[in-house]
Amino acid sequence: MKRNPIFHIAMAMYSLIYFVPLLWMALSALKSNEEIALNPLSLPTTWDFGVFAEAFTAGSLGKYAINSAIVTGTCTSAVLLFGSMAAFAFTRLQFKFSKQLMALITLGLILPLQSYFIAQNALFDTLGIKDTRMALILPYTAMGLPLAIWLFRAYIQNLPKELFEAARVDGAGDLRVYQSILLPMLKPGIATVAVFTVLSAWNEFLLALVYIQNDDLKTIPTGLLTFSTRYSTNYHLLFAALTIVTVPMIIVYVIFNRKVIEGLTEGAVK
Amino acid sequence: MKPTARWIPYFLVAPAFAIFSLAILGPIIATFGLSLTDWDGFSTPSFVGFENFVRAFNDKIYMNSYWHAGIYIAATLVLEVVVGLLLAGLVSSKRNTTFYRVAFFTPVMLPLVVISVLWTFLLNPDLGILNRILGNLGLESWQHIWLGDQSTALLSISVISGWIFAGFYMAIFYAGFQRIPSTIIESARLDGASEWQLLRGIKIPMIKNLTEVAILLCFTGGIQVFDLVYVLTNGGPYDTTQVPTTYLVRVVFRDQQMGYGSALAVILTLVVVGVGLIYNKVRTKADAVVEY
Repeated sequence: MKRNPIFHIAMAMYSLIYFVPLLWMALSALKSNEEIALNPLSLPTTWDFGVFAEAFTAGSLGKYAINSAIVTGTCTSAVLLFGSMAAFAFTRLQFKFSKQLMALITLGLILPLQSYFIAQNALFDTLGIKDTRMALILPYTAMGLPLAIWLFRAYIQNLPKELFEAARVDGAGDLRVYQSILLPMLKPGIATVAVFTVLSAWNEFLLALVYIQNDDLKTIPTGLLTFSTRYSTNYHLLFAALTIVTVPMIIVYVIFNRKVIEGLTEGAVK
Repeated sequence: MKPTARWIPYFLVAPAFAIFSLAILGPIIATFGLSLTDWDGFSTPSFVGFENFVRAFNDKIYMNSYWHAGIYIAATLVLEVVVGLLLAGLVSSKRNTTFYRVAFFTPVMLPLVVISVLWTFLLNPDLGILNRILGNLGLESWQHIWLGDQSTALLSISVISGWIFAGFYMAIFYAGFQRIPSTIIESARLDGASEWQLLRGIKIPMIKNLTEVAILLCFTGGIQVFDLVYVLTNGGPYDTTQVPTTYLVRVVFRDQQMGYGSALAVILTLVVVGVGLIYNKVRTKADAVVEY
């Protein structure tokens, strides 16, 4: 294969489609509202980064980020733990109704959110958990489990059977086997499932919009939407908020890009 | 293997199944039940049989919402799957393309709400850079109120969707291309095949399965599209971008018609599951014939 400058020039030009909007967002944050309105394409005249601090406090972005972190962290831990437990039972242990239960869980892979959220909303109303973090943690965990179990099952099936049988001969009980043999060997699978679960919970919008009205409990997507309605004409503040939300995610993504891409695509193709 | 104690498998499955039943399985059954009632969310639901379904099929906005979703799906099949395939062909044709792959995938991992808010500004008729760039190029006649004009709103949403997800499909296809034995690619190159011939004659046919999955994803994802539409246009102008999900949310949470909303949800569910089943049938058949 030859080096081909034309190829790289063309690809770099195409990359601009991705960079320009994001760069415009970050640079517009540094401009005054008048500058943005009069000349959206110009570069900022001053480089005052104070606007980011202002947006961070005005939009209570810290609060939203903490809420997102609590919800995402809890539901991801639950999905990883409960998902791996169930997958272990489904793949390696014989029990009654194993097939039927697995079939029900599989159903969760294709069902759209809209098929259950009306009744779910009514149920959460009755249980009195709307406007609590539980109202998000519970459905996010439930939505993450089918895919987690499905992916974990594929991973466990690829592990040698003898491994589990040998442990059995050594007198280990099944819970012991799960803890000391399965979990350590499942690490690559756990990473994939974690990426998928974290990003879907972090970015989820519809349920967050419906279940959380209390501003103190909003997650980043709904919090940012509130911000954008409240400051819809304070452009530079809004751009600063968008930038604050976006940049850390891009940094994390660039560092872990292989895992992220793998996690998201593998999760979807399954 | 037989479990070391009878209760162990049930103990292992119980938490996952309890959460799944409470949050998803139960509510689905209840939604099917509610679809046969008239309910405002507060009083006692009253049974009305299939009235809601009759009403749904006579609801012009709802029926049109499927038409809009269809247009959106057709557009994104090109803007996401086909573009993704071409991008995958490009980045797999040379070495050192990690940078492009990472760049093209970036929007996929950002919250759709954030991207949507950003794009409302990019396409804003006064502040947006798109109209400004068109103006600077002397193409004033091409300027539009992109998201506010009935003729461009749905198309604009599709293009934004393409901007986000083309990289996603590229990543799927790229992973598929990487699994093709390099001896096949190298020998074709030695025989003088161009990159384009390579893509069309070898790479694409060899990832046929993945392409099918991608089309299914594009379809099931497209019919459930919500975040983008809700933030960009919320179904407007004049319901020309109303899709099944945005209309559903409006019926349930603005009009407080839980029973009717449930019927709309049931129809959407049947469409999604139906497509999934048809796909499975077609695919198992095709798999039985072509094996590689």
